[in-house]
Amino acid sequence: MIDILFYVFAAITLTSALLMVVSPNAVNSAMCMIVSFVGTAGMFVLLEAYFLAVLQILVYAGAVMVLFLFIIMLLDVDKETNQILKDKLTLAASIAGFALLVVMICSAFAGGQHLPETSLLPVLENPTGAGIGIPFTTSAKSFGYSLFTKYMLPFQVTGFLLLSAMIGVIVVSKKHS
Amino acid sequence: MNELLIEFLSGFTATNEWAAILPEILLGVLALGLLGAEMALPRSQQTRWIPRLAVWGQVIVLVLAFTCAGCCSFDQREYFSGLIAQNDVTQLMRGFFLLSSLAVCYLGKVYFVRQSALPKTEFYALVLIISAAMMLLVQSAHFVMLFVALETVTVAFYVLVAYNRRSQFSLEAGLKYLILGALSSGILLFGIVLLYGIAGSPELVASSHDSLNYTQLMHFVIPNMDNLIVKIGALLVIAGVCFKIGAVPFQIWVPDVYQGAPTPVTAYLAVASKAAGFIVLIQLVSGPFFGLQDFLVPVLSVIAAATILFGNIAAVTQRNVKRLMGLSGIAHAGYLLLGVVALMRGVDWAVYAVIFYLFTYLLASFAVFGVMSLSAAADDAIQELDHYQNFARKHPFLGGVLACGLGSLAGIPPLGGFIGKLFLFVAAFQASLYGLLIIAVIGVVISIYYYFGWIRESYFSAPSTEVVNEAACPSTAGDRFLLGAFTVASVVVGLLPAALPIIR
Repeated sequence: MIDILFYVFAAITLTSALLMVVSPNAVNSAMCMIVSFVGTAGMFVLLEAYFLAVLQILVYAGAVMVLFLFIIMLLDVDKETNQILKDKLTLAASIAGFALLVVMICSAFAGGQHLPETSLLPVLENPTGAGIGIPFTTSAKSFGYSLFTKYMLPFQVTGFLLLSAMIGVIVVSKKHS
Repeated sequence: MNELLIEFLSGFTATNEWAAILPEILLGVLALGLLGAEMALPRSQQTRWIPRLAVWGQVIVLVLAFTCAGCCSFDQREYFSGLIAQNDVTQLMRGFFLLSSLAVCYLGKVYFVRQSALPKTEFYALVLIISAAMMLLVQSAHFVMLFVALETVTVAFYVLVAYNRRSQFSLEAGLKYLILGALSSGILLFGIVLLYGIAGSPELVASSHDSLNYTQLMHFVIPNMDNLIVKIGALLVIAGVCFKIGAVPFQIWVPDVYQGAPTPVTAYLAVASKAAGFIVLIQLVSGPFFGLQDFLVPVLSVIAAATILFGNIAAVTQRNVKRLMGLSGIAHAGYLLLGVVALMRGVDWAVYAVIFYLFTYLLASFAVFGVMSLSAAADDAIQELDHYQNFARKHPFLGGVLACGLGSLAGIPPLGGFIGKLFLFVAAFQASLYGLLIIAVIGVVISIYYYFGWIRESYFSAPSTEVVNEAACPSTAGDRFLLGAFTVASVVVGLLPAALPIIR
């Protein structure tokens, strides 16, 4: 079951990512990107990283993409009239990229060399060594615990990071009197 | 359950000694205080009081940091459950970053005299936040702390570079720095993630629970030095740091950003940002990547050689002085890489040679950038060598400061820069890096050409040529005191290297 779901989500992610790149309309691209993010979130669910999946939906598919759409619509980006492979550089880059992909697939599956298949280890009870008091979970609670104890200092510094970004937006965008 | 939990969590918080990072906290509070003071003070009082508050607040923090450093020991100590480690190097660098942010605030005050339409308070607040974040950056002993501090520095620098938003050059520089800075952060983060993943894999020997910690990672890397993913991860992390210091394959952003950014910000980027990058590099190669020396020494040697040659050769044809300082800054990064390579080859005191060089670079650079700030015309980005024709005759004091600063950067004997280069070269000699030494000496010879071209322009150019740069403003007593202090310090360090308590 999980195997099938994995391929379903992988197909969704990859197809919508491809559509996002080739779509000439910017709004359609953004929509495809949302679908791609949702597909990735599905992968996280399969990995039992529920918190990460929720964050992926909330932050990327939600907030960031709304911002994208706002800007696309505010700027009123025209439909890209040219074809996808509009210049030689793009063409060369795509060919090089696909050649690399082919080489990687060939070297991975053909000629005796195949991908290293490490046997999956049994799930560790306590992989981070942090479970003296708390059982290891992927729930939001355990993120919170370490965020406010061990990682208190980086957490505070992040506040200053966001503050300076905010100051920056005001300084650079404000009209001076 | 609850008691167990509390006991466990208090184990984590036991080493959260906030007093150990008091200077950083005070700087952060000062930055917030400046923003608050802008709201509280009437508009007419702001230009008077806010720069003073910023400068004197930093002086107080500097005095406090020195008195703290005097009484506490310089031994390696870890705080915040291994996120932060303090030793003599980080204490010295605290002083370094405070000195440079102090000088940048002062240069900012000079800059705003001419650019009076720009918002002012935010500049000082951002400079202070950067200074505090750099101090944390050099103290970090954990990749999470490293990345958060580095991003704080970088994001604040994006803003400062694009600060003069009415100037096209500044906006262009801001955009370039934003895109390339984000790219380099991405590279660095990718390397960190690879290391985190591989070091946490229970299949390998010496895998670790806390695999982003420098010490733990060092113990992991030594037995796994042939692992491909370890090598790729380390290489990507080093590449990310090389971006910040402007070493050669990653130097594209330097000239444009240095030219477009406001002059005080250029000085800050050139001195403090580069210094922070080098201390991080030193901590990485002597900490987590200690086991990868056989792999990293050739890589960094090639980078150092290319950096020295590229920086010096590209600077020769440069007529814009800000670009010239940027390109010659690349060359200085190359000399400093020499010290890093020497350290990796087992010359332990090369750390102090690098720090000594950074201090002499600070003194000389701020002298030169101070003169540039004072003599800049209304358009800050266009400062050509031609503007300095007959400069020393009109402003003998500033001309003297400029000559001393450039001489020190070139490495002329009685000045500090010479001793700094000497220490680095001796360290490289002890590490038997003869090929690199020859390249470095060639680089120094080339650098004398363009530094002295600038001095010649200001002293010996034909007196009849028309003077483009009329805007050179009269320097106040405070300017003269500060620039004079930098120059005197350069000379004193050159004559008496023991004046800096670094090399014993």
